Amino acid sequence: MLARAAENLYWMARYLERAENTARLINSTTHVLLDLPLGASFGWANLIVVAGLDNLFHKHYPEANEESIMRFLIEDNRNPSSILSCVQYARENTRTLREVLPAEMWERINSLYLYLKENASTACRSRRDRYMVLNNIIDQRHTIIGLVAGTMAQDIAFQIIKLGRNIERVDMTTRILDLNLAVQFPEDSVLHETLMERIWMSTLNTLSAYQTYRRMISMQVRRSEVINFLLDDMRFPRSVRHCLTEIESCFKLMPKSQQLQNLVAQLRLKIENRQTDDVSTVALHNYLDGIQSELAEIHDALTHRYFHTTHDGSQPTQSSQQTEIEFPKKH
Amino acid sequence: MELASSEYAVNTAYDELLNSDLQPRPTSRPLFDYLNSLDESELAARRHAVDATIMAMGITFTIYSESGNIDRAWPFDPIPRVMGRKEWEKIQAGLKQRLTALNLFINDLYNDQRIIKDGIFPAEVLEGSGNFRPQCVGITPRFGVWAHICGTDLVRDRDGTVYVLEDNLRVPSGVSYMLENRQIMKRIFPEVFRTTNILPIDDYPTQLYRTLAALSPRPGVQPVIAVLTPGIYNSAYFEHSYLAQQMGAYLVEGSDLVVGSDDVVYMKSIDGLERVDVIYRRIDDAFIDPEVFNPESVLGVKGLMRAWRNGKVGIANAPGAGVADDKVVYAFVPQIIRYYLDQDPILANVPSYLCMYDDQREYVLNNLDKLVVKPANESGGYGMIIGPRATPEERKQFAELIRANPRNYMAQPTLDLSTAPTLVDGKLAPRHLDLRPFVLQSDKLYATTGGLTRVAMRKGSLVVNSSQGGGSKDTWIVEEESL
Repeated sequence: MLARAAENLYWMARYLERAENTARLINSTTHVLLDLPLGASFGWANLIVVAGLDNLFHKHYPEANEESIMRFLIEDNRNPSSILSCVQYARENTRTLREVLPAEMWERINSLYLYLKENASTACRSRRDRYMVLNNIIDQRHTIIGLVAGTMAQDIAFQIIKLGRNIERVDMTTRILDLNLAVQFPEDSVLHETLMERIWMSTLNTLSAYQTYRRMISMQVRRSEVINFLLDDMRFPRSVRHCLTEIESCFKLMPKSQQLQNLVAQLRLKIENRQTDDVSTVALHNYLDGIQSELAEIHDALTHRYFHTTHDGSQPTQSSQQTEIEFPKKH
Repeated sequence: MELASSEYAVNTAYDELLNSDLQPRPTSRPLFDYLNSLDESELAARRHAVDATIMAMGITFTIYSESGNIDRAWPFDPIPRVMGRKEWEKIQAGLKQRLTALNLFINDLYNDQRIIKDGIFPAEVLEGSGNFRPQCVGITPRFGVWAHICGTDLVRDRDGTVYVLEDNLRVPSGVSYMLENRQIMKRIFPEVFRTTNILPIDDYPTQLYRTLAALSPRPGVQPVIAVLTPGIYNSAYFEHSYLAQQMGAYLVEGSDLVVGSDDVVYMKSIDGLERVDVIYRRIDDAFIDPEVFNPESVLGVKGLMRAWRNGKVGIANAPGAGVADDKVVYAFVPQIIRYYLDQDPILANVPSYLCMYDDQREYVLNNLDKLVVKPANESGGYGMIIGPRATPEERKQFAELIRANPRNYMAQPTLDLSTAPTLVDGKLAPRHLDLRPFVLQSDKLYATTGGLTRVAMRKGSLVVNSSQGGGSKDTWIVEEESL
């Protein structure tokens, strides 16, 4: 497979996953906010913090309120991680990839883009429309994943899509876990308790994990159990360990991947041997940060190995159409 | 379905679907029966579905403008153009004859130049050619074929005669739209395919693959074929990626390829370098190899000509093939066919006046108001003048251009391009059109069944180029026996 095409494909998969994740995050946050008591400080601004985009946001908007944050996260092209930007990048990349993807893929992604362009601004204005539009986006993304799963040859291109999707998922799951640690809780202990539970429920909801959690773990939503579930439960497809195992299996099918396999195994061990029960918020935050930076290392290593390999003394590929964006770094 | 009768009343052109009494021709009778079965709202709904399909399929072309490049939806008219199989078969034979002769001609020009020595083709035409590549002299590509993919523009005049307007031998485009137009029709008007026996067109990608595969320097090995595109900002990028997808070929840019010290072309894959056997290049000659041609080119591949000359890679169309894609050379094609094939041309050439000859130039300058004058090496309808529609001032300016560089210009009488009913504001109005079939040649010859029908959407306009307001129609070749 062409190195340039592989890179575009990898980013296409990440953009699509990121768009879906952002849509989920907004919907479940809206949901939980409706339930919160007035004293709680959990607010919309957390959404831009979790995405690592607060600096960029404040550069363009004087005030962080629901409307401005929604515009920034959904339709603002100045935000490279906004849903519209992600879908736009994914579409641009898909245009260059039609020969490696199932024929319907381009049409699906193009339709998603056209839908979003048509409906993004409505979604920013009203909560009711927003819920519907974002759900439609998630639906359309499911169609795309189904298309890949059901019609695509399981070749290298398929592995690269899977790789991009799972790397983005680890990133998202760890960010969302981290988000909850940022919540300032009210002093009142009864309120504290209910609020905690609400927040963790919202976390599970964001990742479509609530039902699975209740069925497999417990009817009660407790911090340490949610953390364990999202980090380590192999049965849940968005848990960090599950995603890492997927990533490892992709690398096993790709050429010259020993070093990459080692890196992933190392991170997987870090999950398996973790000590996160009853640790302080700060310690947990640092632990999650550690996972994120190892993930970034895996990303760099695979980029170097497959996309920017130096061939035969010639210069590394410098593609002019590269529309890649960095991991938005937290600070 | 209503005709725009006021427009048809004054239409002097031959109509492809209607006879002079404005009744459907036998080949288009079933189509009209079908159209008449749709009421106005049904037709409007289908029209709407067509637009939505084109948007969703993302069938676009790019227009260059000062404010950046814009991706436009492909303008499509849902009323097809219909032609009987018997007439088409004759045209098909003519197209194959023409490309065979042109390839013999190109190979002769780069080798013995017999046709010049025998006094059939003037040396000064070759000397003035902008597309003759001295770097290709002495080369005979596999099968002696230079132009593997040819898009021939056909038009029909008032009396019904079909003429060849030009032979596009460099990087002709449009075939993807021909294929997609049929897809749109099948999606939106599936019923009509049951009532008429419309010949299929979808074997083109297979035939193109076969044509290219035959050029591989490693026979017996499954060839690696790549479509070389200038990139996403090229107006035909849609087509490049479409054809790569249809053929299962790689879509590459110049920066994805390297030529090794062994003169083999490699592409940069995720697993290192992989050999490429055949390149279907959609980049003009001048840019394919900065080592040999334009040194500034960033679109091409250094050493590509070296690899090709040494037989390490097949390139379609071969560099230098464009020498026969020249409007002055065009005027000689009937003689070229007679000279190499000893046959009479099956397809007619439009009578042409070459400004390089004093007497013909005088005729052109004295009759500018009746003629179309075209520059030799332009395409896309640029740089030409349609005499009867130009102002005296414009004609005067153009006369100066001709005098300054006579070799570069040729003139033809203005043809009254045929029309076909086209959906305009809910009615069928006559709009002028042409037809671009695609012809393939390597070890075998192939011509598409029909081609891309381009239609001038503006009333009275003769310009069908998509960059200048043209649209397109599905083209049906129908079996007469079934009617």
